[in-house]
Amino acid sequence: MKTAFFLILGIAILFLGYLFLQGTDSPEENTLSTGSNVSIVDGKQVVEIRAKGGYVPRISTAKPGIPTVLQVNTQGTFDCSSVITIPSKGISKNLPPSGVTEIELGSLEPGVLQGACGMGMYPFQINVQD
Amino acid sequence: MHCKSCVLLTESELAEHPGVTSATSSLKNHSVEVAGDFGDATPHTIARELSALLEKHGYSLSVEKREMSDPRWKDFIYALPIALLFVVAFVALQKTGLVNLVDTGSLSFGTAFLIGIIASLSTCMAVVGGLVLSMSATFAKEGDRVRPQLLFHGGRLASFFLLGGTIGAIGANFSLNTTATFILSLVIGAVMLILGVNLLDVFPWAKRLQLSMPKFLSRHAYGVSQFNHRLTPLIVGVATFFLPCGFTQSMQLYTLSTGNFLSGALTMSAFALGTLPMLALLSFSSLSIQGSAKSGVFFKTAGLIVILFALFNIINSLVVIGLIPPVFNF
Repeated sequence: MKTAFFLILGIAILFLGYLFLQGTDSPEENTLSTGSNVSIVDGKQVVEIRAKGGYVPRISTAKPGIPTVLQVNTQGTFDCSSVITIPSKGISKNLPPSGVTEIELGSLEPGVLQGACGMGMYPFQINVQD
Repeated sequence: MHCKSCVLLTESELAEHPGVTSATSSLKNHSVEVAGDFGDATPHTIARELSALLEKHGYSLSVEKREMSDPRWKDFIYALPIALLFVVAFVALQKTGLVNLVDTGSLSFGTAFLIGIIASLSTCMAVVGGLVLSMSATFAKEGDRVRPQLLFHGGRLASFFLLGGTIGAIGANFSLNTTATFILSLVIGAVMLILGVNLLDVFPWAKRLQLSMPKFLSRHAYGVSQFNHRLTPLIVGVATFFLPCGFTQSMQLYTLSTGNFLSGALTMSAFALGTLPMLALLSFSSLSIQGSAKSGVFFKTAGLIVILFALFNIINSLVVIGLIPPVFNF
């Protein structure tokens, strides 16, 4: 009986480790921005991300020094990602279940802009570099 | 001895003994300090004599401190793997893309119910489910079984109906701002952590951390502590409306747009009903196990799960306020 439990314990730990190492089960192209989600329209930089069960792409790359808008698309989004926060900018916004929400970020400084959902377990980031 | 009223009871009973001039009970180390004139009697004889006074209340006195709590470390052989399996199942569930099951912008009551079910299986479970588990297991351990559970679920359903309706009617949200949410999350995390450690039953000092009424209050009103005990689950149930859970927040935002009391109230109620099966399962599992041979294992398992959920919540709330970079991604 004890052996069985330790066996289960071992399997559980291994599986847990695997899940954490794997990080995310979304395909690579969903995690990393190919650059196509960032565009410059009328002198404004638009970073487009999708919010549902997390943020896609999770890492975007934007340029510094340009007025920037974060455009968040929701489609039947009722989970945590419907509350988007960017702590360093004091932003916390409720998104509608379906629609497009624009969040003004102002002119970005070079570095990493870190965001997460309202409870903190779905992260996303914008790398700001030339 | 586990409450303030026990302190008062033992002190007043002992004071009635002719030889006793003063008696001071201590909840902290389960002891009573007795002073008085007992002639030539040995401490052991005195203890036996005084013990007889307390017997009718179910207490006993001895000179040496009896080892009160036997941690029963063996229970962890079972509790640890079960708790770990539970956590793995929880993480795996989040990875399956459960949240993508809902694919509609408009909401019927049926969809709200479905979203409720999904919410109760999602990371919201770490907050609300963790709270339910820690509370129901704690109450079950104290022997109070069905009533606190009914009060909690009743309070939750009633508050979702009334507050949902109010949001719909006045068209404004009650949601808390970032700082208030952060403080609330930390408080809940801390309470869960304390309850979780208590459920493990291995650290006697943790009992000291438990919230209890000051003695000067309970001295004046025995009834108040009973009242307090009765009301707590109800208040916690009502408060779940404001807990940081993404699903609850987005449902509230939708309810806002409904524009009238009834559809707001029904939407939020449908959502709360959807979360009920899972939450009821958590709270009533504590009841069925109480008193059985495996209850030690159950309470330790529950304690471990509650502690892990508490840490998960605390870490996440630190992420949201921006103090630490994100740790989890699910």
